[in-house]
Amino acid sequence: MTAPARKVCMLGDFGVGKTSLVARYMRNTFSDTYLTTVGVKVDSKEVDLGEPGVLKLVVWDIAGRSVLDALNMSYLRGASGLLLVADGTREASLRTAIDLLLQSRSVLADAEAVLIINKLDLVERWEVGPSTLAGLRQTMPVIETSALSGDGVEQAFLELAKRLAR
Amino acid sequence: MSEKHEMPTFSAGVEHHVAQFLFERAQPLLLQFDENWQLVNLHGDPARFGFDPDHADAAARQLRDLFLGMPLDETIDLPFVHMPNGRSAHVHLLGDSEPGFQVLLLDAQGEHDRQQAQQQVGNEAALISGQKSKAIAQLRQIRSELERQRMRLAEANALKNALIATLSHDFRTPLTSIFGYLHLLDTQASQSASVRHALRALRRNSNYLFTLAENLLEYARADTRSSMLEPVRVDLAHLVEDLEGMFQPLAADQGLEFTIGVELLDAQTPVLDELRLRQILVNLIANAVRYTKKGGVGVALRWQDGALSIEVRDSGIGIAEELHEQVFVAFNRVRQAAGSGAGLGLSIVKRLVSQMHGSIDLQSRLGEGSCFHIVLPGLASVVAAPQAGTDETPALGSSRIRSVLVVDDDPDICYLLDAWLSDLGFRVRIVGDAGAAVESALADPPDVLLVDVELPGLSGNTAVFRLRAKGYRGHIVTLSATPTEEARKVALNAGADQYLTKPINIEVLARAMQAATPRR
Repeated sequence: MTAPARKVCMLGDFGVGKTSLVARYMRNTFSDTYLTTVGVKVDSKEVDLGEPGVLKLVVWDIAGRSVLDALNMSYLRGASGLLLVADGTREASLRTAIDLLLQSRSVLADAEAVLIINKLDLVERWEVGPSTLAGLRQTMPVIETSALSGDGVEQAFLELAKRLAR
Repeated sequence: MSEKHEMPTFSAGVEHHVAQFLFERAQPLLLQFDENWQLVNLHGDPARFGFDPDHADAAARQLRDLFLGMPLDETIDLPFVHMPNGRSAHVHLLGDSEPGFQVLLLDAQGEHDRQQAQQQVGNEAALISGQKSKAIAQLRQIRSELERQRMRLAEANALKNALIATLSHDFRTPLTSIFGYLHLLDTQASQSASVRHALRALRRNSNYLFTLAENLLEYARADTRSSMLEPVRVDLAHLVEDLEGMFQPLAADQGLEFTIGVELLDAQTPVLDELRLRQILVNLIANAVRYTKKGGVGVALRWQDGALSIEVRDSGIGIAEELHEQVFVAFNRVRQAAGSGAGLGLSIVKRLVSQMHGSIDLQSRLGEGSCFHIVLPGLASVVAAPQAGTDETPALGSSRIRSVLVVDDDPDICYLLDAWLSDLGFRVRIVGDAGAAVESALADPPDVLLVDVELPGLSGNTAVFRLRAKGYRGHIVTLSATPTEEARKVALNAGADQYLTKPINIEVLARAMQAATPRR
């Protein structure tokens, strides 16, 4: 029996670590060389959620943008979930992630969303304060991650998968 | 009226050429699926996009994932999709193939690479720019923090200076009393030998205490300003006697031989800052005795050609040549490691020598003792040439008795000045504050006004200023415990003629009074 599949899009400004998060989650690899993503990379992984069963996440790693243009909108079609990614060391990237979520609502009104604050390994240089995150947690799941060390990465995808399985 | 652009028509040959060119660049792969995503047919090279022709199911699964959640009866274009082999392709779903659908893949690797290179540069520049802005903001913050620290340090420094000024006054005022009364007792002829001995010990130890206190104050004053020199005629033989009395017992206790002597090869009386000279000698000799365990310490002074040469030689632990500079740095570890002491003495010596425009030289080797050689130029040009027969306390006098008004709030100092000035032939009046001084001086103008700066309420300088403003023309000598050039300028600007610092030396006072009341 084929596991049900859900399309998940990674959204966030350039350089926040979307591709690295996907690489860590899908292949448990990491490269510290920054390479701009052009277009989209699609990967999939089955997640065993226990009681609800297995869910296949089809993850779209979309090129980083601060605004959603027509091209990005076309990539979003059919998505059930969004992983919004911000870089903890760049507070502006958090505002971008929130903006992208609001823009995506025009085509994905009901998509589940989880906010990832990446680069936990550089926490001493974070501009995003704990009080800001506490405020955001009132409205959506917020998970701090490090693609470099792997901290929080599995948890972030799993959190979204659980919400998509409901 | 809108203008309609029509596609230009070309000959069949041109169109064929263009089609061939685009076809070769795009390397199209057309996959035809039925409604259940079963591959029905394909045209092109699947391997170019990473698909295994023998495993059509895998290719079908990957493409199906790509269109997950999308309506399959529409034409959908997905540019720059990452293929299984890493190449980039434009993927088009052509929903007009009933009952299934067709997926067209066009190679976009070249275009992808160009865009990626362009975006990479732009994104990296933006990231670096962000980091630069952040670094600049941090630098601004650091500068602002440094400025705050600087303000706090300036405030602390001002407090320190105020404390030093207070300490200086608090040390010097009682020492003035002690030295003055010792002088009075010394002049009494009825003393027995044992009393004279005791008085000498008291004077010696008071001097020593004063020197130690001055060391600390001198060190603390270092960064503020250079203290002014106080040139006086120095009785070097007497000084040597004092030093011998101070250090001979100490050296004897340690089993050391201690010799000290002076050669006077210039007929002119040495004029030097005696207090600083004493500090230099006490520090050098104390160090020599402290760091010598066997052998001896020898001190030789020579007054020749208007300069004083000092040599302090010991057979102590010595100082390695590479550390010669370090020993003159305050709180240096060299001296601390060698024994007791804060490593302050030599730094004070160097500073004092510099203030007296002298030079210092150190010859020493580890384990072979040390020899400090100092040359201090005389300060004869700074003070007025002494008159004939005035090597002793200057005699004062005139046909009439001169009057002096002493203004000081310390009763001991007042009593002492009264005794000294009476001895010098003055009629003395005493008041304790600035207001009374102004009133008394205007009511009965004295020949000389001797006023302390640090008075309760209005300062002595204020009293001087007011008196000058009201026409007082007598001679004014200001006394203060603050030995700085700034304090001297303030006092002279207020209207004083002379500025003396405590502790008061009777000889200096006598000379000042002589200058104030010249013979007619």
